[in-house]
Amino acid sequence: MSEPLAFAMGEFEARFPVDRQYATNHMWAQSRDDIVRFGFSAYAVRLLQDVYFLDWIVDAPVTLSEKQQIGAIESKKAESDLFAPLDGTLTQFNQNLLSDPSSINVDGYGDGWLFEMRGTAEGLLRPEQYIDHLDAVWEVTQRTIKGQLNE
Amino acid sequence: MAKRLTVVLSQGQSQNPAKRGLEEDLVARLLMEPGIDATVVPHLYDLQPDGTAMLCLQGISGDMVVLSWLYERAARWILDRNDVRGQVGTSLILNEDDDEDDDEDDDEESAAGESDDDKQRVVDFRAPPSRKIYCIDLRADNQAATYVDEIKRIAAEANTDVVQLGEWIQGTPAPEQMQRYLEGGTAAGVGANGSGGGNLTAGGNVTGAGNVTGAGNVTGAGNVTGGAGGDGPREVNRVDEEPGRRWYPVIDFSRCTNCMECIDFCLFGVYGVDQVDTILVEQPDNCRKGCPACSRVCPENAIIFPQHKTPAIAGSPEFVGSLKIDLSKLFGAPESDESAVDAAVRERDEQLVMVGRDAVGESVGIAMRQQQAEDRPKDELDGLLDELDELDL
Repeated sequence: MSEPLAFAMGEFEARFPVDRQYATNHMWAQSRDDIVRFGFSAYAVRLLQDVYFLDWIVDAPVTLSEKQQIGAIESKKAESDLFAPLDGTLTQFNQNLLSDPSSINVDGYGDGWLFEMRGTAEGLLRPEQYIDHLDAVWEVTQRTIKGQLNE
Repeated sequence: MAKRLTVVLSQGQSQNPAKRGLEEDLVARLLMEPGIDATVVPHLYDLQPDGTAMLCLQGISGDMVVLSWLYERAARWILDRNDVRGQVGTSLILNEDDDEDDDEDDDEESAAGESDDDKQRVVDFRAPPSRKIYCIDLRADNQAATYVDEIKRIAAEANTDVVQLGEWIQGTPAPEQMQRYLEGGTAAGVGANGSGGGNLTAGGNVTGAGNVTGAGNVTGAGNVTGGAGGDGPREVNRVDEEPGRRWYPVIDFSRCTNCMECIDFCLFGVYGVDQVDTILVEQPDNCRKGCPACSRVCPENAIIFPQHKTPAIAGSPEFVGSLKIDLSKLFGAPESDESAVDAAVRERDEQLVMVGRDAVGESVGIAMRQQQAEDRPKDELDGLLDELDELDL
């Protein structure tokens, strides 16, 4: 299997396995038949750091459109709403994360998966495209964090 | 003889070690406090109405302090909905600018809406029992000692009240009256005095109650005030219940004017009215997870969704700045400057479509006045500098 791709976030190097696709909202996506499993990319996990709390505001199965809010997350350093990465039906959440979300940090590309959707994965990015996307948004990311620090 | 004070600790949902640590620290310290009975329950909002934990809370009869990871208003009105009612106890621990909800003094509250001061609120028609409930938000301070000190102050205040009640019955009680009064439990003693009789049976260790209207008091939670002594360390009463996460509206009746806009707007049958046509959350579990639309259309900002991210919807009278960086924009949040009503209509339509019904847009249940307080900028927090440093920006 090919080596994961890497992206430097300051001194931290985030790694991205090439056996899957990525969404611009910093989730990875792995397709199996028509089911796509999603989880946080190393970039997202690095921004979040230790995840303390995950909450979904929809019940599966549910039909969603892209960017519809589906939940929220709280970590040591940050909090965020979470949004559907594509149009489709969300078929199940990873229930194990509700009581203990730590596998997002420990095994973000495996047991720390978030949810599965049935839908078309066409809009998703190949790993190298995702790296390009990160290049493009890294400045904004830093500004977002700094901007909130300065308020 | 001091009244005992029950302290209820409602645990958070988050695995945040700082929160868990504070909870455990509090429990350990409360164990050492004489005159305090500690009860630990799961997250208040998630408790089932007929579950063990709520039944336990209903069984507590005297003054009560409720510590939870919820805004004071949210905690208070969740309890109220479950018949755990009392006068508003005023805690000195407040979230910044957190004006408390005084049932007798609700007019300032309507700052939330553009309402007149003389509007009648639902609470004006349903007087709570005379015992006090102090709700304290555990996000206000991260030191257990702060809460323990406040609880001790409240315990002292509760006992001072006894003397004030003595004044309230006019005149100075005769020494033997006072003696009987002090020995015989508090409000029951007042009742006896008020009716002019020495009705208390000897040694009748009436609980601190007398206040409580509801039935079936005092379970094992250690409410029996009678026994003198017994002030040594006690066991904490932990009520284990594994409630799933719930989502439903909580009505603040010190704000609600019974205008019925929520019942008109909600199309999922959450709201109903009681025998005297007062609005209530009749079918909480009909509520659509994540949907706060009725809260946005409430003209008095009386509807609380304690788990909603927007503090004004979650029950804060004032915005309390988040301590954390909000990454939502980076994680795909759409740009938006939609109005509260637009948001409510959109949210309701999303929920309708989710269950296979037709969207209704603005055609149903819209009143044209609501102005929701906008989010204000986040507070600066030094801790965020860690993030900056670690990212080596």
